[in-house]
Amino acid sequence: MLESILIFKTNITTETDLLIVKAALDTHHQIERWTIDQTDVDCVLRVISHHLSYADVNRLISGLNYNCEELTY
Amino acid sequence: MRQRDENKIQGIREKAIEMITNEGLENFGINKLAKAAGVSPATIYIYYKDKDDLITQISVDEGMRMCAAILEGFDPEMTFEEGLWIQWKNRAKYSLNNQEGASFYEQLRNSTYREKMVKAIHDEMGKKAGPFMKNAIERGEINDITIEVFWSVAIAPLYSLVRFHQEGHCFKDRIFVFSEKIMKETFDYVIKALKK
Repeated sequence: MLESILIFKTNITTETDLLIVKAALDTHHQIERWTIDQTDVDCVLRVISHHLSYADVNRLISGLNYNCEELTY
Repeated sequence: MRQRDENKIQGIREKAIEMITNEGLENFGINKLAKAAGVSPATIYIYYKDKDDLITQISVDEGMRMCAAILEGFDPEMTFEEGLWIQWKNRAKYSLNNQEGASFYEQLRNSTYREKMVKAIHDEMGKKAGPFMKNAIERGEINDITIEVFWSVAIAPLYSLVRFHQEGHCFKDRIFVFSEKIMKETFDYVIKALKK
């Protein structure tokens, strides 16, 4: 099942950024797993959730003052 | 529901191996891979969580592919000579036809990816090669010898022949071309050395 994977381009570039985002995502009960590929220029955020939409995650990350743009297939 | 697109995954995998083989690990990135494979980066992130995950999965898959090729038609119940000969033929075929796979493996040198790949190969090979060796020892066909000694005598000579073939020679003034006849001649000496 692949439809629960949400993928975003972000500006979560530094270790500090990562810690801030981690605090929010680790405790979110509707997020099963998440990762950020900071080796990639787009610092791609990958969220696995059966409940959240692209808009939900976008609001969450934007609320932390980071850019979060849906990456389309 | 979106399904796994195996053709797309295969295309990504092949392109990644090609890029790592030609350009090395340092220059490899998912964005570059996406461009080269003609897919969106998001498509790659559907299947792999990051660059590390992608290289790890591809390395382990390559290792499994190699194991499957080497173990084709091999049965741990075979006699020692029969089983080792099948392995020689399979290993020769794989090595001679998979130059890119060998270069990819070389590019992973000194990386944790190679460690994971080697462990996966070791675990998979051990499932059949372990019982094969045990049977051969129990049947009194060979002595219970140190694995490194066994490898050096039983398998390494084949890879010497493959290397001579790929380099075109062993000694400077002699052209060398691999053949089944040469392989069998070498194998017969190996069997003489190992069989009780």
